[in-house]
Amino acid sequence: MNASAPPSTKAKGSAQPSGAEPRTSAKQALREGNPQGMVEVLARLRLGRFSGLFLWAAIIVVFAIWVPDTFLTSTTLKSILSTQAITGVLAIAVLFPLAVGAFDLSAAQNMGLSALVCGSLMTHGPHLSPATAIVLTIAMSMAIGAFNGILVAGIGISSFIATLGTSSLLLATGAVIGHGSYVGPFPESFASLTDKEVLGIPIVAIYLLVFATLSWYVLARTPIGRRAYATGANADAARLAGVRTGRSVFGGMVVCGFGAGIAGVMLASSTNAVNETLGPAYLLPAYAAAFLGSTQLVPGRFNVWGTVLAIYLLGTGVSGLQLVGGSLWVTDYFNGVALIGAVGTAVLIDKYRGRREKARTAKQNDE
Amino acid sequence: MTTAKTSPPLAIKNLSKAFQGQWALRGVDLELRAGEVHALVGQNGSGKSTLIKILAGYHQPEPGGEATCFGEPFHLGSSDAAREANLHFIHQDLAIIDQLSVAENLALGQRYGLKFWLSPRRERKAAQALFASYGLPIDAGVPLRTLGAAQRTMTAMVRALGHADSPTGILVLDEPTASLSDEESQRLFELVRSVRDKGGSVLYVTHRLHEVFDLADRVTVLRDGRRVATEPVSRLDHDALVELIIGRRLEEFYPEPPAARDDSALTAKGVSGRVARDVSLTVHAGEIVGISGLTGSGVEEILHLMFGSSPRTSGTVEVRDGTTVGASPSQSVRAGVAFSPADRQRLGGMGAWSLRENLTLPRLLPRGPLRWLSPRRERAEATEWLQRFDVVPTNAEATFSSLSGGNQQKVVIARWLRRGAGVYFFEEPTAGVDVGAKRAIYEALSRVAADGAGVLVASCDAEEIASICDRVLVMRSGRIAKELSGDALTPDRVLAYSVGSGDPVRHQGPGGRA
Repeated sequence: MNASAPPSTKAKGSAQPSGAEPRTSAKQALREGNPQGMVEVLARLRLGRFSGLFLWAAIIVVFAIWVPDTFLTSTTLKSILSTQAITGVLAIAVLFPLAVGAFDLSAAQNMGLSALVCGSLMTHGPHLSPATAIVLTIAMSMAIGAFNGILVAGIGISSFIATLGTSSLLLATGAVIGHGSYVGPFPESFASLTDKEVLGIPIVAIYLLVFATLSWYVLARTPIGRRAYATGANADAARLAGVRTGRSVFGGMVVCGFGAGIAGVMLASSTNAVNETLGPAYLLPAYAAAFLGSTQLVPGRFNVWGTVLAIYLLGTGVSGLQLVGGSLWVTDYFNGVALIGAVGTAVLIDKYRGRREKARTAKQNDE
Repeated sequence: MTTAKTSPPLAIKNLSKAFQGQWALRGVDLELRAGEVHALVGQNGSGKSTLIKILAGYHQPEPGGEATCFGEPFHLGSSDAAREANLHFIHQDLAIIDQLSVAENLALGQRYGLKFWLSPRRERKAAQALFASYGLPIDAGVPLRTLGAAQRTMTAMVRALGHADSPTGILVLDEPTASLSDEESQRLFELVRSVRDKGGSVLYVTHRLHEVFDLADRVTVLRDGRRVATEPVSRLDHDALVELIIGRRLEEFYPEPPAARDDSALTAKGVSGRVARDVSLTVHAGEIVGISGLTGSGVEEILHLMFGSSPRTSGTVEVRDGTTVGASPSQSVRAGVAFSPADRQRLGGMGAWSLRENLTLPRLLPRGPLRWLSPRRERAEATEWLQRFDVVPTNAEATFSSLSGGNQQKVVIARWLRRGAGVYFFEEPTAGVDVGAKRAIYEALSRVAADGAGVLVASCDAEEIASICDRVLVMRSGRIAKELSGDALTPDRVLAYSVGSGDPVRHQGPGGRA
């Protein structure tokens, strides 16, 4: 009687031998749009926890040999540090929903709208002070996150669909506020928030470092973070262990809104003139970094420092290519190739391994 | 062609199947005659479903078995052969699609052929004609989801059978009445009878013995993978059939009334769900109470209903201090209920996570949600728990999915002991667990009870439940059919009441239970 599978209320006639690892097939994970499934597939790449560091070093060496005069300069270093800081904050923001097993596809649009709203509050109507404008902007971006949270955790819409819808709402709102024209320039004190250097390091990179440290603390070293990861890893099992998974998902969405707001303020301050079209370009790099980052340092889990590493790895490659003489589209091209390349390789390896294992077990059964 | 008329529609000889060295079927013969309803009965794990799965082509039989279909050799273990031989299966999940209309579902079963244009009107007319030929009052135009359970089952049957005037096929029904009411079951039986009367053959797998007597012409009993008997139903009575199924004689007994106690750790009143109906029970402090029954009796559902992980349609559950629990799993956990589910792979823990993280999840050490969580301290504590439960390996960083079933179960139990609770729910605590680990798990259960907690164990394993529990509630058709304790508590009796004997209630009619 023990040979038979334990009955369960939900799984229909599962005849899985206990002790065997249930494998999410790569295809299935990708089709269902389940971030945790995709991460487990990516983890099977077994890239090595620090392979990103080696790859980064390799990219640096290649460009150092190729274009030594322009690449190995402090200007290039600072430009990489500062241009990637905003994408980095956004990438860390999207880690929170990813950790709880949801996507926030409206994060980049939320960031773009935050930049526009922050700028408009200072230059139109009451001409608010930068501090007030920043506080109001971040409150708005968190409210957008809370709206997403209600849709996903409250009503139960798939996060993919819900945030895609929100994204479109935000796009329309941006068009109403921006009228297609640029907002700016902003007060001196606002612009100076991002153009300073501390000990020769661009201050935006330090903002990223601070945001990353706080996020790492919350996700990796507090009960809240542990429950968030539990929700993403297996929501049903987490629920049975007493985790309030709905709260985790809602919280993840709100924090993502918060991060998007911060990124938006940084974007407005560093460009000094914003319009409604700035957001969308940041979506893919942020997700590419989050997924690549999940193969690094703590493989199999969306983690903060892996994401920071991925951001700078991608950023270094992009700036190198630009220095070699690539056009602006090189950025998108490089990010796209990196994302498809990483996930595609994982899927192919998964398929190949699956076939090999099948062949091996079939052989064993014959013997 | 003469052989085709005299040969039985299906004859199986010497069918065997082993899973991981354990025999699920051993040398089973089965002959299905034209124009008969042939019942296949046996306990959980007796090999019924293995046999059906081999017929359907899900499993390969061991070499040596053979089968013929109307005298023609029939290749067992191939779904293509099953289709060619006109074997039709109605499983519990009916493989019909809720979103489509009844007519579309019927059309799915047939070959579309080389048609470019599917005419919904023609499809619907054909479906309506098909239902009419069976005398079924089902509207083919409505979406399938609007049909009741019985009509859904009938739709699946009609789809499998095709036109009623040429029932050359063999119909295999696997527990078709599991989710039907008595009245709906009766309507289904009429359809089954009409198939038989037209010369079709039906293999009918069931747990419900009264159905055997209501419907079947002959019955084959399986026990521990062997065929025990094939008899005409008219030659058996209820008790004789039960004895064939459990393999022992039933003795009469007079239950002693249990002593009244007032130290209840958990009280459930009128709990109902998908299958369970109006279940009330009390678990006292320091007591191990078992719930047993056959698959489909509600035993798989009852703990989930009380814990709050499956929606309850009615009923309340209270713990010792009067707090109602079961609004949600997290609410139950906070009120002091611990639950170790049967499906360890999917629900027991996070497969990709370390043992440390799995162990500590229900009670994370820092009090505040944003306080520092030290992996080093967690590791030290987790290692201690792993050593106490002899988990192999004791490495707190090993992943949960890399452990054997028994060790996974120990981790899940350790996690809840670490959390601490007033009531512990264990669902199939030793399924897929080796002998050594079983012992350790039983010891943990009795230690928990000795420390004053209430323990509720749901298990289909009558042997186990009779040996570890102080008191056992036997479920049948969603209700508690019998309470056994003291000397009356034996594996035989648990089984007997599970399949439905020894209880005067059975004389009230099919499935009827006041």
